[in-house]
Amino acid sequence: MSLVRLEGVTKRFGQLTVLDQVSLAIEPGDIVAVIGRSGSGKSTMLRCINALEPIQGGRILFEDTVVNDPATDLRKLRQQVGIVFQSFNLFPHLSVARNITLAPTVVKGIPAAEARRLAEEVLARVGLAEKIDAYPDQLSGGQQQRVAIARSLAMQPKLMLFDEITSALDPELIGEVLKVLESLARQGMTMMLVTHEMGFARNVANRVVFMHQGKVWEHGPARETLGRPRTPELESFLGSVLH
Amino acid sequence: MIREPNALDVLYLIAAGRWTLALTALAFFGGGLMGILVMLLRIAPAAPVRWAAMGWIQAIQGTPLLAQLFVFFFGFAIFGYRVSPWVAAGVAFSIYASAFLAEIWRGCIEAVPRQQWEASAALGLSFPQQLRYVVVPQAFRIAIPPTVGFLVQLVKNTSLASTIGFIELTREGQITTGATFRPFTIYGIVAVLYFCICFPLSQLSQRLERRLHVAR
Ligand SMILES: Nc1ncnc2c1ncn2[C@@H]1O[C@H](COP(=O)(O)OP(=O)(O)OP(=O)(O)O)[C@@H](O)[C@H]1O
Ligand SMILES: [Mg+2]
Repeated sequence: MSLVRLEGVTKRFGQLTVLDQVSLAIEPGDIVAVIGRSGSGKSTMLRCINALEPIQGGRILFEDTVVNDPATDLRKLRQQVGIVFQSFNLFPHLSVARNITLAPTVVKGIPAAEARRLAEEVLARVGLAEKIDAYPDQLSGGQQQRVAIARSLAMQPKLMLFDEITSALDPELIGEVLKVLESLARQGMTMMLVTHEMGFARNVANRVVFMHQGKVWEHGPARETLGRPRTPELESFLGSVLH
Repeated sequence: MIREPNALDVLYLIAAGRWTLALTALAFFGGGLMGILVMLLRIAPAAPVRWAAMGWIQAIQGTPLLAQLFVFFFGFAIFGYRVSPWVAAGVAFSIYASAFLAEIWRGCIEAVPRQQWEASAALGLSFPQQLRYVVVPQAFRIAIPPTVGFLVQLVKNTSLASTIGFIELTREGQITTGATFRPFTIYGIVAVLYFCICFPLSQLSQRLERRLHVAR
């Protein structure tokens, strides 16, 4: 069974169709890189998967849960699907530890001491064990983004969504975040990431999805799709990002 | 019979100031509790609930406080209910404060970036949990200056209660002026006493703001 299936998903903002009959399946262990021009609907697709945006047509399945069914318990779904945003969105009034333990304690009811150990563990995975008692504004952008990843990991999700998580970072900080993504990939985490880092997409992702005008224009194995584009749109997109 | 103002008059004015403080406190806490409720309804996910809260706020913000006071004091008397100036003023000022505080606090809640709601929703927090752990703590610091600003207005507006026979600072000033015929002196003292209540409030607000800023 696929972990996620999009079946003819259509999403509109008023008159504007942002996702147009998108169908896609993600298998456990997949690392899917989503690429495409600005405005092609990449972020929107990710946000629809954990129901941050409602859809107007088709359906989205997470395992056997219909995400867009009004009867679905979204809080349960979201515990299994983590998302990390371009702008980190840490809670500025809470320490790193509390940023991470908040959801495990109040959503899952994990005791405080255990949650603290969990925070230590996920921080170690992103290489920030020593920052556990810092506040977000004491961290660099790259460190904040790694804390945001740790915060999602602490919920032990089955799928992680990453929306251009290195785009807001200074170039010298991008590497440390990509390294964390690579190590997650090695550990077998299923992930879907919107990225402009073509080298990363080629080397780490096993599949690439090229979005164009709200449609999945091309998709397939990463190296093949990026190496030999079948459509002129992908070819020109790759030309514009590589040069 | 006109007499000279004396020290006892000043003491009476100060004593009357207690009722100004008491009415302000009642209106602020009563209005604050109601205001929290109205504010929550105002931002509730269900639209009809939001409209009801909006109606309440518009009705109160769109009518003079004096008229609201008269409705509670004279209006109920018409239907045979005798209400004391205390009850009428307490209820009218609480309702008045609830509408303004609800709007002030809604603004502070909405000043918290939308991404904070999204990030907490994506972690599985429920709406009340998002408010309690993520949004309200951030809105709190933003809320201090406008809330204290309103409180200072409230202190001064309680003088309107003098019109329904509620004896507070302004009413006591009127009475003393009637006896001494020294309006300039007496109302000067009244003004100074209002200042003595309002100034420390503003100072406290600044201190609190700084403290919270340091403790982020
Ligand atoms: N909340 C919204 N209301 C209205 N239109 C929106 C909203 N969010 C996105 N859009 C529109 O939907 C389209 C797709 O947006 P989306 O953010 O998914 O693109 P994207 O592929 O992620 O682009 P980028 O690379 O710039 O992040 C754009 O035209 C955008 O203007
Ligand atoms: Mg985007």
